[in-house]
Amino acid sequence: MTVLASVSLATFLVAGLAATQFRSQPLPPSNRFARDEALRKSVNQLEDQNRVLKSRVQTLQADVKAGEDESARRSSAAQEVKGQLDEQKTFAGQTALHGPGLTVLLHDGTDPNSPVDHSLGWTVHYQDLQDIVNVLWASGAEAIAVNGQRIVPSTAFHYAGVNILVNNASRLSGPYTVIALGDPPALANGVGNPDQLAELKSRNRIYGLGFSWLRSSRLSVAAYDATFLMKYANPLG
Amino acid sequence: MPTRLVELTARSQRLIVFSLIAIGLGFLIVVQLRSQAAVARTLAAQDDTSVALLINDLNRANNELMQQSAVLAEQQAQLQQALTAGGADSQALTKELTTLREVNGAVAVHGPGLEIRIQGPVMDFELQDAFNNLRNAGAEAISLNGYRIVASTSVVSRGDILMVAGHAVGTPLDMLVIGDAEQLGPAADLSASSLQTRVQVSIQRQNDLSITEVVIPRPLIYAQLGR
Repeated sequence: MTVLASVSLATFLVAGLAATQFRSQPLPPSNRFARDEALRKSVNQLEDQNRVLKSRVQTLQADVKAGEDESARRSSAAQEVKGQLDEQKTFAGQTALHGPGLTVLLHDGTDPNSPVDHSLGWTVHYQDLQDIVNVLWASGAEAIAVNGQRIVPSTAFHYAGVNILVNNASRLSGPYTVIALGDPPALANGVGNPDQLAELKSRNRIYGLGFSWLRSSRLSVAAYDATFLMKYANPLG
Repeated sequence: MPTRLVELTARSQRLIVFSLIAIGLGFLIVVQLRSQAAVARTLAAQDDTSVALLINDLNRANNELMQQSAVLAEQQAQLQQALTAGGADSQALTKELTTLREVNGAVAVHGPGLEIRIQGPVMDFELQDAFNNLRNAGAEAISLNGYRIVASTSVVSRGDILMVAGHAVGTPLDMLVIGDAEQLGPAADLSASSLQTRVQVSIQRQNDLSITEVVIPRPLIYAQLGR
């Protein structure tokens, strides 16, 4: 009985303290705080929805693939188309790949806090990622991923305010890892070429912006986590 | 005495197991709280404009993903219907194959879009920015001076010479872009505004333009299927 009374008393006190604490929270000074909170809550909800939708797309892709595999087993016509389809999926980035290649690492440098330098040269911009990807393609890369996001025909890097977005609003944040599959020496020569990425290399020296690369004998890139829709383009003929 | 020893051992084992579970749970909770805090801190540090733009992009991406789901569900139903009837629907496979060939630039295409002419020299990064902006606005097919532009098309400046897919291209640069002209227009204007201080840019909307150039995908030499 004594134990029960003690526990009840303790629970009552803790609940009372919690209620007091809750009531004593100051009200927001203005609507601004509430508005900020609402905006951030919307982002979290939309990002949750984005994850669920991507997962749904992947599940459906797996179901479609199972249907295609079964169709190919039953019909030689379907089997022939399936072979071509698999090849096009690979080129479009819808298949996970592995092989030798290069890992490029990129991170923000140090803010010089200079009254005369407002260039933000110490931070990584989406254009830096775009430039690196372009140099890697030019150096013979066969597949590329940035922070796990596969670079596919529809990929575009862009800013939404300070956020770098890619592939269906996937938010990228530093440090950035670019993985390219291909001939490691050729890829390293491309990135290391003094005529290429000159501005990025100069910011590496001035601001300590992290920019390095590493050859590997085995790397992997995931498949693109969505699919493609053609709404306006139609085949000719 | 042996019974008491067994009891003591069992109690000690239970205590160790419970302690380990408690430590594990505690660790997981702390890790979870720390990662949530890190994500929230990143978002919390952003200005309202950035957050509003992010919301806009997320809404657009989620709508696109919903459309993708609907198309895949229809494709799956079509395949399943044929399988249930005891056959196979190779038409559903052909339809997907056609879409992927369009995506990969392996077939000639036509549709509405923009015709952009740039008269004057531009740098590789300016052209990359333009392609990037247009893709972001939903460009489905692009060509430049007779070359089909796909994800792996390299654009490199070698001195004053602009190399596209390993070929030198001269001015004027004629770009054809297929997609929703309403969406592509502002993206093209954005690229043009940064170029127009130096070169002349004209943008024409077209109801139907054709891109006849195709690319033959390079065979994979180093990359292999699977993770």
